[in-house]
Amino acid sequence: MRISCPHCGERGSEEFLFRGAADPRRPAAGAAAEAWHEYVHLRDNPAGPYNELWQHQHGCRRWLVVTRDTTTHRIFSVADAALREGVS
Amino acid sequence: MPSPPSTTAVARRGPLDGQRLPGGASFTLGLAPAAARFILRGDAAARTAAGAAFGVALPARLGPAGSGAARAALWLGPDEWLLVGEGEPPADLERGLVAALSMHPHSLVDVSQRQIGLDLAGPLAARALNAGCPLDLRDQAFPVGMASRTLFAKSEIVLWRRGALRYHVEVGRSFAQYVVNHLDEAARRAPPL
Amino acid sequence: MSYSFLRIAREALRGGAGWGRAWRDPAPKPHYDAIIVGGGGHGLATAYYLAKEHGLTNVAVLERGWIGSGNAGRNTTIIRSNYLLPGNEPFYEHSMKLWEGLEQDLNFNTMVSQRGVLNLFHSDATRDAAARRGNAMRLHGVDAELLDTEAVRAFVPVIDFDNARFPIKGGLLQRRGGTARHDAVVWGYARAADRRGVDIIQNCEVTGIRVEQGRVVAVETTRGPIGAGKVGLACAGHSSRVAAMAGLRLPIESHVLQAFVSEGIKPMIDTVVTFGAGHFYISQSDKGGLVFGGDIDGYNSYAQRGNMPLVEDVAEACVALLPQTSRLRMLRSWGGVMDMSMDGSPIIDRTPVEGLYLNAGWCYGGFKATPASGWCFAHTIARDEAHALNAAMRLDRFATGAVIDEKGAGAQPNLH
Repeated sequence: MRISCPHCGERGSEEFLFRGAADPRRPAAGAAAEAWHEYVHLRDNPAGPYNELWQHQHGCRRWLVVTRDTTTHRIFSVADAALREGVS
Repeated sequence: MPSPPSTTAVARRGPLDGQRLPGGASFTLGLAPAAARFILRGDAAARTAAGAAFGVALPARLGPAGSGAARAALWLGPDEWLLVGEGEPPADLERGLVAALSMHPHSLVDVSQRQIGLDLAGPLAARALNAGCPLDLRDQAFPVGMASRTLFAKSEIVLWRRGALRYHVEVGRSFAQYVVNHLDEAARRAPPL
Repeated sequence: MSYSFLRIAREALRGGAGWGRAWRDPAPKPHYDAIIVGGGGHGLATAYYLAKEHGLTNVAVLERGWIGSGNAGRNTTIIRSNYLLPGNEPFYEHSMKLWEGLEQDLNFNTMVSQRGVLNLFHSDATRDAAARRGNAMRLHGVDAELLDTEAVRAFVPVIDFDNARFPIKGGLLQRRGGTARHDAVVWGYARAADRRGVDIIQNCEVTGIRVEQGRVVAVETTRGPIGAGKVGLACAGHSSRVAAMAGLRLPIESHVLQAFVSEGIKPMIDTVVTFGAGHFYISQSDKGGLVFGGDIDGYNSYAQRGNMPLVEDVAEACVALLPQTSRLRMLRSWGGVMDMSMDGSPIIDRTPVEGLYLNAGWCYGGFKATPASGWCFAHTIARDEAHALNAAMRLDRFATGAVIDEKGAGAQPNLH
């Protein structure tokens, strides 16, 4: 599997670190225990396109949002996670 | 009054000291000259300010390293650079950068002793590297001057192409022996050119 | 039809004309007392023990493909009960005891071979961890021996003792561990369940779970709706997708695990050895192939195939432990889809939907658990409460914090 890093170009997946689902949002610090449970433990785990966080650990060290089909490993899009969050 | 404790000068040892490094007609592996090394992290303003003080512009994106007579700035990421000053005492290099960056949020870390430089040369050098590194090293993809952080087998490296047949590899000192052994084996097993 | 020596002799004389199918191929009935979704080892064992231990025989097992098409045919056949935590160890030891009597119980040769499982250690720290695990096992009455280097050398002389980077300091040995023939386990359970009246329905994919007023009443399938008093889900790898049909969101990610078989060679390794300086395990099949594997690939996947970095990683560990394998050819490799739970341990429990039960989260260790998983899941379904053996394997343990985390890796499924 090869991932096209927006900063470094296409690289082998061994340069990247997988962190899991990109869509769950961290609850506010004072949120109910149920919200934290959902954030930490529960996953959609779809068979098909999935938004995931990967870090280009052995390249530019940036966190990326990778949209990938879990049934074929085909990658649809890769973007710097900071763009999505509106931070740099 | 007790006499002051005596001090002994302790010589610094490199991870490959005293070793005969592999070398032959089509592949040589040597130690790069001692150098001051810094990792700079910061934004575009810090990049510009650091470049002015360093005397070599820091690249804004993946591509050829900025280089001067004995100094070079290698792009590692959108907010990270490796600054190398060959044969310079780290303190000298640091002094100028710290002054220039004082008004910019940044981190500047002396990694002069964390990693060492290997100098690979010869027609088999690219093949030896490709035994552990899947980057496309052909001219159009990785031209002379290009630098990138990547992997060589299980070790993270910074690969910098310094000539048509010459590569510089920055590697963590504890991984140096591992990388040398792999490169040596790869060069010896490579089919003849 | 019972299998026996006499039977083989008689069939030999009759040209094998009397051998029939091992299990029937029934059409689904309109309603069952209990339906098990998933015809893998765990689902078939559940149906078998529902019939044998609880007298529940109006039971169907629904399998999307055919028996043996999923992870039952995609594993490295290792059986062991060398766990650390009290929530796990008695359960896996029960499984080991069931393995020890399985062939007589099922009247089927499942080729259980107690050839030993040896976990090597290569440093003082890993020796301490192995000693701690061995002591935990002994406290539960399970056999465990701590071997020093010389004892390891005597037990398995073929491994590389001159590896300077990963010196072998010793190993934790469970002599009662070993291997079992993976296909034979599902075939044996299928035949034994069928003989007790269970309907095994293949090529029947569940497409929906009908819930009325908080209670499960039927499943929708590619062969029409089937009414059910109770429904048990035993479809690890795809648990999230099937549970979602009943509105449940699980603490599970699906990941791919690869394994490999080499060409057949002369007998070389007569036990199961695991490398302690990386994740790697190896044994030799009766056909002579080395059967080995390592870590999961580390990213979510429903594809029954993995990628090259992990292949390289496993090959490196193999050659580090057994340098003489460096020129062996690989005959086959495969990938299976695993339920990776958030603490690395399984779930056998009721669910918030009445009459719906969950058997999931086996990570990459489900094969050895097959008998006890079926046994405990059958108990949970029949009695509507967990047995003491699976009492800790609750679905709500992630919310309450009572997790069973053998590795101490936290809620990061690809690290378990």
